Amino acid sequence: MAYTLQWGQVLPYFWYLLGGALVALELSFLGFIGGFAIGLCNASALHFLPRGAGRIARAYVVFFLNTPLLVQIFFIFFGLPEAGILIGPFTAVLIGIALNEGAYLTETLRGGFASVRREELDAAETLGMSRFQTLRYVVLPQVCRAVYPALSNQYILVTMTTSIASIFGIEELTGRAYNVNAETFRSFEVFSLAAVDYVGLTIVASALLALAGRALFRLRMRVI
Amino acid sequence: MIRRRLSLLLTPLVLALLLLGTAPPANAASLDEILKAGEIRVGVNPTLPPRAQYDDQNAITGFEPELAAALAKKLGVKLTLVPVGSPDRVPFVAANRIDIVMGAMSRTSDRAKVIDFTVPVHSENYGIITRDDTGITKMADLDRDGVTLVQVRGTVMIPVLQKLAPKAHMLLLDNYEDRDRAIAQGRAMASVDGIDTANFRLNKQFGATKWKLIATPELGVTWSCLGIAKGNTTLRDYLNVALYELHTDGTVEALWEKWFGRPMDTKVPVTPWF
Repeated sequence: MAYTLQWGQVLPYFWYLLGGALVALELSFLGFIGGFAIGLCNASALHFLPRGAGRIARAYVVFFLNTPLLVQIFFIFFGLPEAGILIGPFTAVLIGIALNEGAYLTETLRGGFASVRREELDAAETLGMSRFQTLRYVVLPQVCRAVYPALSNQYILVTMTTSIASIFGIEELTGRAYNVNAETFRSFEVFSLAAVDYVGLTIVASALLALAGRALFRLRMRVI
Repeated sequence: MIRRRLSLLLTPLVLALLLLGTAPPANAASLDEILKAGEIRVGVNPTLPPRAQYDDQNAITGFEPELAAALAKKLGVKLTLVPVGSPDRVPFVAANRIDIVMGAMSRTSDRAKVIDFTVPVHSENYGIITRDDTGITKMADLDRDGVTLVQVRGTVMIPVLQKLAPKAHMLLLDNYEDRDRAIAQGRAMASVDGIDTANFRLNKQFGATKWKLIATPELGVTWSCLGIAKGNTTLRDYLNVALYELHTDGTVEALWEKWFGRPMDTKVPVTPWF
């Protein structure tokens, strides 16, 4: 009763699965950009604004870091329609990923802001730099260099996270793998193929991020 | 350097695939082994009431658990129920985590390439599940732009609908509760699936929605069987005889009426030849 691998049964679905990988890429890219924007606003609020104003950002981070992403998306997808707000599957998952990533990236970016030493800010002030000039020439170059590797890792994690979208009817890589599995029942072959696709997605992303890091910040990052 | 790291990453993957290719992942338990172990493991899907569901004590009850209990009683072994879902039920059998899979296992030639089926346990009757306000009355109403159908991933009606209603948009969700909720909330207009259980479930869970069930005999009747590991003939032969007995003494029909609240729409033609 040995199981015999039959790659021929799933190979016709190769391009179908690759199309799903593109949807996963789209979700992870847009979700990350959204999360980055949220994280930047929050981290700025936490770092630069007085304590009271930072409290909202703090509450946001605590809430989203301590509840599972799946539950958050369930709330957006099935909870909000009960209040009359019907959001499409792709948008709902995208909002969920962006909100969740926003919380993680807030912490990362806040760490980056904190890495700029007080003395350097004083020095900038002594040189007569404006607030904008200080931000542009002193703070941002250091923050970017400090947080870039962490952001790259976070992006890779988002790529994996997109597999959750299959639960909400989005035909991305995992969802399509499930569909092929249901048609062929070749679970080992289908999910191996999907795994290889995910590895491809993340290796290409890692390589591009490493190249960009080297060009922009002279960072030496490992791809594998 | 890169090449060495790449090989570090790919070696386990290749090794895993080689292992899968050479060694069987698991051997299914034969009839003798089940009798010797004194236990039979049956996979049921507790998200498909009244086929199977969790009761107040968190035990799995329903049509399938009681039928499984009748089979275990004939075998004289202890019954262990294992909850399985629609997409993972067949891998559970293939990996020898269960001996028998239930959960409305429709018999198809594609599936029979991977697992074996016993004689039919019951018929499955299909129809359109929709809300009263959608204006849908027949299959032809589904093949239109602007119609969103919702189906459960990995179920048997998906390829049928892709042929019959190519213009409709299809949303695939993970389980039947999500499917029903999507129709109730207006995310989708209709679903084509088994209607045997629909009445029981929908009015209980979404009583506020006005549901409409439209039988579609033109889609044919499928036969739901017990699924077992490919080549496990000792178990299959035994189960065929046991099911023949349970059909002829009326146990199957009695359990059906007890749990579904009405007779089986299409009776299983029982024959002593199989």
